[in-house]
Amino acid sequence: MTDKITDGRSDKAEIADEPTRRTILKATGLTALGAYVGMNIPFEGNLMALAQGMSEEDIMSGKNGLVLLNDRPLNAETPAHLLDDDVTPYKHFFIRNNGFVPDSALDMDAEGWTLTIDGEVDTALELSIGELKSRFEEVTLRLVLECGGNGRAFFNPGASGNQWTTGAVGCADWTGVRLSDVLNAAGIKSSAVYTAHHSDDPHLSGDPDKEVISRGVPIEKALAEGGIIAWAMNGEPIPAVHGFPLRLVIPGYPGSASQKYVNRIQIRDQEHDGAKMTGYSYRVPAYPVAPGTEVPEEDMVVLTDMPVKSLITFPQSGAQAAAGEAMEVRGHAWSGSGDVASVDISIDFGATWTPAALEAPVNKFAWQRFRADVTLPQAGYYEVWARATDLNGVSQPPVVPGWNPRGYGNNMQHRIAMIAT
Amino acid sequence: MTGSCSKRKNVKMSKTLTGLGAGLCVSLFLAAFGATAQPVYDPMRPSMSPLAPLATGPTAQGSQAELDPKLGNLPVGPGAEDTYYQCVGCHSTAIIRQQRLTDDRWDYLWTWMIDEQGMQEPEPEIAEQILAYLKTHFSSER
Ligand code: HEC
Repeated sequence: MTDKITDGRSDKAEIADEPTRRTILKATGLTALGAYVGMNIPFEGNLMALAQGMSEEDIMSGKNGLVLLNDRPLNAETPAHLLDDDVTPYKHFFIRNNGFVPDSALDMDAEGWTLTIDGEVDTALELSIGELKSRFEEVTLRLVLECGGNGRAFFNPGASGNQWTTGAVGCADWTGVRLSDVLNAAGIKSSAVYTAHHSDDPHLSGDPDKEVISRGVPIEKALAEGGIIAWAMNGEPIPAVHGFPLRLVIPGYPGSASQKYVNRIQIRDQEHDGAKMTGYSYRVPAYPVAPGTEVPEEDMVVLTDMPVKSLITFPQSGAQAAAGEAMEVRGHAWSGSGDVASVDISIDFGATWTPAALEAPVNKFAWQRFRADVTLPQAGYYEVWARATDLNGVSQPPVVPGWNPRGYGNNMQHRIAMIAT
Repeated sequence: MTGSCSKRKNVKMSKTLTGLGAGLCVSLFLAAFGATAQPVYDPMRPSMSPLAPLATGPTAQGSQAELDPKLGNLPVGPGAEDTYYQCVGCHSTAIIRQQRLTDDRWDYLWTWMIDEQGMQEPEPEIAEQILAYLKTHFSSER
């Protein structure tokens, strides 16, 4: 088999020549990627995902080492040791898709794209990308995006949705304009309560009248520091699967607040009730419940700030170290309120903790690097645990926090195995 | 592990994308793994979650149940075929196979799929059979 297949590009070219491929895939619902569900995607060094005219499947060829949770819609998470970079590169950035990637994004075609700001504003705006760039100050911010359901896999009984473990998080450099600048240019009326985000990604059912997802945030959050309307990720046009040509990045909130393919931000005089704002989506019980409890819908409240969290990104779990010798352990810490105060490390199952060195974030809502030297006293099995604490003194719990029907907000301490030799 | 697998797999990438050799990386992965002694315990394996008692149902059971590759790798059993044809119009079976839910949550998801996502409701007997299948194979209760 191996000898037949030596040049990846010729096959790729064939795919690109089939104009109806994407349509066929969508219609038949078959994807060759299906066989990879639950596995690491081994494809390396191929950036077809940035090329023109690709299909959804090609996207995974630009994603190195991610674990595919669902092939339709695409959902894939990143193993912790692949998140070691300060700035998560495209190839290691997790994918949370609720619907299909629009063809305009797959073709990287932004021709005629506009962003509408309307609703409870003094003057509705319809801005081309050119106008966004010329009328407002450009900013580049390093911002964490984390899926609200990151850590869902650890809830028991299970919570519905993709079973993310620790890898539905990444921190990229996003370039665009401040969301607050654009909203203020439209003039926010005193009646404004909530934003409502809209995009043009196709619903899985193919029904053109159905929105895949339409979420929003309280107007105070929309106007607060950090939120941007972005057109570039790590200095490149935002890749198709991450929201080309425009997306919101509203850090601190669950990733779903950061609408991809955004073409309209409506300002509403009430909490938004769009797709995946209601029911159990991105909501948690208003009061603590025992695992497995059926919570009435009216008792579910919108998930807002993500909890304080950290991830050990080096070494990879299972690494060996010489007993009695110091070895660097490092990772990142972040919190929905943007203020991690400290990180501590334990090598004895949380019995004792040692402070790690913690770097300041390059800007609010960037993740913060922590480093610690650990010395494993004698040969054998160890676990390294990390615990971040925010400025209010709130830390990550050692166990899965409050069960909720959809499995949001699990910020339990991350742990890796280390073998001393 | 992943690294060695990726390098060896690199050249074959495009073919696997077109559907061939799906099992290939698995064997390479295992071979690479086998070379380095026994696998190291992973403290973050979901079933090893500190709050979780022993893993029951889904994953444990699922790994033993025979899977039907013609039905998107759904476990073989009464209702598998109806479930497949009812459910794969919009998404793959991957999202179903990941679940281990209470019966109540399956009942809720059934109506959510109809009311919010536009799933067509089948005849009552078929609906019953599909729900029974889902509650048997992707359950936190059994
Ligand atoms: C008409 C389209 C449609 C059909 C048919 C359909 N689904 Fe879904 N389903 C969806 C959409 C849309 C989602 C959300 C996908 C996402 O967010 O990734 C979803 C999500 C799910 C989820 C995850 C739920 C969650 O809480 O996130 C499960 C489980 C699921 N479907 C099971 C099923 C089963 C079982 C069937 C067949 C009985 C089915 N679906 C049929 C559209 C459909």
